[in-house]
Amino acid sequence: MTDFLYPFIEGDERDTGPLLVDLARSAQAKHEESSALRDATLASQSAVVAAVADAMAARFAAGGRLFTFGNGGSATDAASVAALFAAPPEGRSVPARNLAEDPAILTALGNDVGFDLVFSRQIIAHGLRGDIALGISTSGGSRNVLAAMSEAHSRGLLTVGLAGYGGGELAQSPAVDHCLVVEADSVHRIQETQAALACAVWLAVQERLEDVDA
Amino acid sequence: MALRTGVSRLDDDADLAGTALTLARRFASGATMWCLAPEWPEHGRHVAVEFVHPVIMGKRALPSVSIEGSGAAARLRSNARSGDILLAVASSSDPTVCDVMQRAPAWGVTSVWIGAGPRPPSRSADYLLWSEEASALGRHDGSMVFAYHVLWELVHVCFEHPGLLRPVDDTCDLDSTCITCSDEGRLGEVASMVAPSVASVRTARGVEEVDTTLVDPVPPGSLVLIHGGVAITRVEATL
Repeated sequence: MTDFLYPFIEGDERDTGPLLVDLARSAQAKHEESSALRDATLASQSAVVAAVADAMAARFAAGGRLFTFGNGGSATDAASVAALFAAPPEGRSVPARNLAEDPAILTALGNDVGFDLVFSRQIIAHGLRGDIALGISTSGGSRNVLAAMSEAHSRGLLTVGLAGYGGGELAQSPAVDHCLVVEADSVHRIQETQAALACAVWLAVQERLEDVDA
Repeated sequence: MALRTGVSRLDDDADLAGTALTLARRFASGATMWCLAPEWPEHGRHVAVEFVHPVIMGKRALPSVSIEGSGAAARLRSNARSGDILLAVASSSDPTVCDVMQRAPAWGVTSVWIGAGPRPPSRSADYLLWSEEASALGRHDGSMVFAYHVLWELVHVCFEHPGLLRPVDDTCDLDSTCITCSDEGRLGEVASMVAPSVASVRTARGVEEVDTTLVDPVPPGSLVLIHGGVAITRVEATL
């Protein structure tokens, strides 16, 4: 009786045409959604971007280094940010690397001291006063990112957070000097806009370093 | 240099739709997806983690692996099985990707190439998800990420349509009247010579013994077109 509500419940669907039309339409809608979020966030976060760039450029100018970290897709985004700063398509390169990169380090720390400490232990090993820690967490609540921010803050590193879902704990933490926030609740759309925010920071840092050089 | 307004867009959203349906069908048939991004390894890893560990609870985990470092082609050759998927995120000039894209049909692997800037030749992959708009920041600004995020999302929409995921017989049968095959032959990759002018050749159907009289010598790794059990011509590297 209710088959009309679920025409394909038996898996009898055969015609791919309607699905393909829906998929293309969906892709278009997602593009509009991601673009709108990106543009709105770049506008709403412009003051934070400027403040982060001021602080980061001052550290780089004084010899500071950037450490990035995050989990899963944010680990790969951390790799992208580190590559942008250390090997930019143009402009000045600065020391930057991703702490979520080396499986030997990550598994050694994860196995021996626990996954919550995989980044903070590396901050202990590498971080110096004057360096920069940039933690990425779409939820804003990743334990290992929060732990590394606390460790970095106590050691005199500049701490910058990049978070979604309104910022979560990362935005509230007293150990985080600046937090760039994407106001959205889709992990995918958040990550896409976080990447754009990181680029905006990089561009602003480049401008400031040019002024230092000049 | 400046950040563009909005996320850069693929040249055609319909490409994403067709790619997603094919990927869902392949996964439904047991495929593994091999991700390759030699210039931008973060993207290969991001695609792999996306499919293996979905960000949305309840979505199925799909086998996806990032292949990195030197010897990527050799490791793909030994790991990829017929019916698998190769997904590259790379510019059209990446030599490793150009090489494996050309070999993919001989391995029976469906190929997807995501990138930006100058387009590769139209038949260099089964599916091109391309944005010709080149941006110096395109690797970093979320545009590539957007393309494979949406691909993942659409693949999972396809899983809500099980009737459309049944295997489609899209392979050519040499014994029947496949015009494509009888005209052009099938791509094979020479594995080894098993006798004078007889090679063991890998094709989408498996390993075949092929007469190489017309193309000798063909060292291992050579690509040949096979017709009626005979290698009729060598296929030179495109790059």
